[in-house]
Amino acid sequence: MGLAGTEMRRAKLRFGLLTGAVSLLVFLVLLLTTLSNALVSSLVGALEGLQTDGVVYADSARDNIVASRLPAETTQEVAAVPGVARTAGIGTFTSNAELAGELTEVQVFGYEASGPGAPSGLDSGRLPEAPGEAAVDGGGVAIGDTVSLEPGGTELTVVGTVRGAQFNALPTAYVLLDTYAAAVEAANPGLPFVPINAVAFDVSEGEDPAAVAAAVTDSVDGVTGYSLDEAVALIPGIASISQSFGILVGLTFVIGIVVIGFFFLILTVQKMKAFTLLRAIGTSTARLAGSVALQITAVVLIASAIALVLTLLAVQGLNTGIPVSLEPSLVIGTIVAVLVFSLAAGLLSIRRIARIDPATAVGAR
Amino acid sequence: MTDPANDPVLDATRSALDGPGASPADDAAGHPSALLHVNDVRKVYGSGHTEVVAVSDATMAVDEGEFVALLGPSGSGKTTLISIIGGLLAPSSGRVTVGDVDVTAMNKKELTAFRAERVGFVFQSANLVPFLTARENLLFVSSLVKGISRTQANERADQLLSELGLSARAKNLPEQLSGGERQRVAIGRALMNDPDLVLVDEPTAALDTAMGRQVVELLRREIKARGKTGIMVTHDLRMVEYTDRVFEILDGHLTHVEQPSAIGH
Repeated sequence: MGLAGTEMRRAKLRFGLLTGAVSLLVFLVLLLTTLSNALVSSLVGALEGLQTDGVVYADSARDNIVASRLPAETTQEVAAVPGVARTAGIGTFTSNAELAGELTEVQVFGYEASGPGAPSGLDSGRLPEAPGEAAVDGGGVAIGDTVSLEPGGTELTVVGTVRGAQFNALPTAYVLLDTYAAAVEAANPGLPFVPINAVAFDVSEGEDPAAVAAAVTDSVDGVTGYSLDEAVALIPGIASISQSFGILVGLTFVIGIVVIGFFFLILTVQKMKAFTLLRAIGTSTARLAGSVALQITAVVLIASAIALVLTLLAVQGLNTGIPVSLEPSLVIGTIVAVLVFSLAAGLLSIRRIARIDPATAVGAR
Repeated sequence: MTDPANDPVLDATRSALDGPGASPADDAAGHPSALLHVNDVRKVYGSGHTEVVAVSDATMAVDEGEFVALLGPSGSGKTTLISIIGGLLAPSSGRVTVGDVDVTAMNKKELTAFRAERVGFVFQSANLVPFLTARENLLFVSSLVKGISRTQANERADQLLSELGLSARAKNLPEQLSGGERQRVAIGRALMNDPDLVLVDEPTAALDTAMGRQVVELLRREIKARGKTGIMVTHDLRMVEYTDRVFEILDGHLTHVEQPSAIGH
């Protein structure tokens, strides 16, 4: 065992406390990031997951798909714009439904099976293929359950479940556009026509979705075209929610890194006498720096493992009302970022070691 | 109680300057094949009106297998001189050679390797790595040198600890050892890499007289048994009897080379 490992073994309490503190900081970063992602996903997941290059809303909707009302013919008008390859209508409304024995609100999304705008994130089962079928995200439903929309009494049979595809943090049911139209008519008898909320469009190969969306806005009266990314970013409130969580996560991350850097600087200052002796008897700066880097790596990795277990327990135990799951890419990304920045913070210690004058070991200065 | 300043036994400045020995420069001329040559070494700190000359034109030579003392009072420049010889400090001018190696021509990296491979240090304080056991303190220095196998290092550490009477204390941390035991471990560490030079700085400073004598006697025995060249910095006249020759230093000047028997008695 090298110098770094031997010291850690001999100073279990000191390194144990340090690891504990770092694990709490990593836990906080992981949990905040997970919750932030879950909240944003539950608000915009439906729109984010649509398999389309762009969407078109009514001008009057002010960037909000729910407030948009378009006649079905808009689909053909958008299809005629140069650069547009395919179009399809999307309809959505909020309804009451009994899910898992509880009356709750459900967001219904209607899409055309043959066109753009189908959902992604199928978790089990299949997407609807026939009238009356639905794929649902949330609400505790399982394949084979029946969901009854109220008012109107439209019954939907659950044939699949999807993940990360909720809208406005409500359980979300995906149905074919005909099913959507029938449900709207059932809930609103005497409606002269069933409007759609948006037109989903795919662009021709090599075309830029944002440029085509601008062309749609210019060419078709009374509508605004958006690339899908623009549409997601413009959902009311989403930017401020993302920003607020971003600041919170960023600050926690920065504080964590600074604390780790200071911890190791304090340890280095405390060991300055030993480091000076080691330099005097012929230990290179690189070896001592490597020893500090090794200790930082070991502390961060052990702390990350503890933080991961804590986060898994927290995610399982939390009842937030929105689906929360721990993404492997998020965990790996966070741990790698903490490690990289901790090593960078460790440069404070390494700089201190590099400045050691070995002659001070004999008091010759 | 005797005032140390008036006690010829304790005051290094008293007899040292009155000795009849040769000047170190003349003495060096008579040792052309010495292992260590120090030629006109000068060390100046600061500049202008804040300039302090710590070592002034020091010249000396020490033969292979010799154990010599560098004797002088506090602030005389002996620690600065031994630091320059050991490659811890660069001189302002002058030259130091150990065998065929010019220590003063080395860069920082080469000096680090030189200290690890060719010099063994016993310091007065900050002497052992606190989180390594006695045995690990010895083994660590062997890891600084290429070509020593783990088995060889283990055997050598065990042998040295045995010779130094520390076999039973091998697994103890420095804080669990007495002052004398710590100095004996430091002697073992200094000899671990089979160095050309063993440089010892005030080894008895923190020890009582009896323990100090034991440590210096042991140091001499180990250095002589291995045919090493040792230089011991001290201000304690009682310890020079264990050395072969004594170089006296005062205010940065090497003044005389004496036989130990001619010092203070």
